[in-house]
Amino acid sequence: MSRIIDRGLEEQSVLITKMAELTYETLALSIQGYFKGKSVQDEVNEMSDMLVAMDDKLEGKTFELIARFQPVASDLRTIKSYMKIGNDFARFGRYSLDISYINEKVNGLKECDSATKVYLGEMSQKVLSMVKISIDSLRKLDVNLAKSISETEREVDKMYLEYLERLIEEDQTNSKCIISSVLITRYLERIADHATYVCESIVYIVTGEKITLS
Amino acid sequence: MFENAKMQSIGLNAWFGAKQVLKDINLSVKANAVTAIIGPSGCGKSTYIRTLNRMHELVPNAKRSGQVLLDGQDIYAADVDPVMVRRRVGMVFQKPNPFPTMSIYDNVAAGLRLTGARKGQDLDAIVKRSLEQATLWEEVKDDLKKPGTSISGGQQQRLCIARAIALQPEVILMDEPCSALDPIATAKIERLVIELKRDYTVVIVTHNMQQASRVSDYTAFFYLGALIEFGGTDDIFESPKNPLTEKYITGEFG
Repeated sequence: MSRIIDRGLEEQSVLITKMAELTYETLALSIQGYFKGKSVQDEVNEMSDMLVAMDDKLEGKTFELIARFQPVASDLRTIKSYMKIGNDFARFGRYSLDISYINEKVNGLKECDSATKVYLGEMSQKVLSMVKISIDSLRKLDVNLAKSISETEREVDKMYLEYLERLIEEDQTNSKCIISSVLITRYLERIADHATYVCESIVYIVTGEKITLS
Repeated sequence: MFENAKMQSIGLNAWFGAKQVLKDINLSVKANAVTAIIGPSGCGKSTYIRTLNRMHELVPNAKRSGQVLLDGQDIYAADVDPVMVRRRVGMVFQKPNPFPTMSIYDNVAAGLRLTGARKGQDLDAIVKRSLEQATLWEEVKDDLKKPGTSISGGQQQRLCIARAIALQPEVILMDEPCSALDPIATAKIERLVIELKRDYTVVIVTHNMQQASRVSDYTAFFYLGALIEFGGTDDIFESPKNPLTEKYITGEFG
């Protein structure tokens, strides 16, 4: 016999899964717009707003479940973590919007050399793969998959710092390329951090362990 | 096991006739803390706390083996007087049970009179202090001569706590002290339990898991007479280690 709280938990799960799907689409669209020099800001803005609204709804449901059912153990960990993950997904949406804004206002990638374009492309793919890992781990509540994000997280961090060092060493003067590339690498690095936080939350939901994967 | 355990059971077993109701319980009760005992009906939690002040042996056909230490001394040793144990380890029961023919004042003073413990002590002062500690003084100070049964259920339960406190025990055992009370009276008892740990060690049996999580520092989960898991209340209710504990506290069984 299912418990009364199970219905609320199921609703939370459906909502967070929808957010996960929308998160990936938003980020992918934003990155695509950036690399193709295509304006996607309006669309991304709308998607980001939807993620914020879904995050608000998730938060409201979280408080309702806590107030009505006083959840404990894995129920409590799930409810608490879903709220945190919802916030991470809303941040993905916000950074996607920032990327589309930079694309719109600076449109600097076309000013960059091909090596930089390849470098940024590689970093984007890594971050997208991290977001996918975080979403798949959430869907399957797969601790091993969640923990596997560490390696790519370290690579992305390294790429970000190496890129900054390279800019300083090369003494670049193309301000449009510099502004655009520095900001996008920064946003990508932050998205990678949030994808890692999502994975940490999944480990916590399943095992109760609070670990750091970055 | 705690370094400064107030009470400790070691290899404790208990029976009613041939039926074993406690199986090899090893558990420490920390001084000046609240320890909650949770578990489904019939798991042995009430029997367990009754072994902590030798009330279990008052039941016909009841048996026990193993040790219970109070400040490191076995309360079941041959030279130990069970009455003295019960004075040091008081108990509050599920239903408020003030002595029906006695006034509020006499209910609190009864234990002192019966045990002759009042020698050289100012009875009025002890009654006042006990009622104050039980957060009842302000509500009954003008009605001390009224029958103990004339006050509300929640007040009666606090009167029983005052009666237990009057003997200045070191440990207070509470066996589902709020199960017969409404939410307001329950909240008062819960606040009181938290207050009491400043001066006493408290062990509380409760069916209400939210109550255990609100008032206790440590929680023990019993199932079928065995201690399944013991730990900090935060840990037990957030990340229990044993799947049985998880199932019980999330309402999958019980």
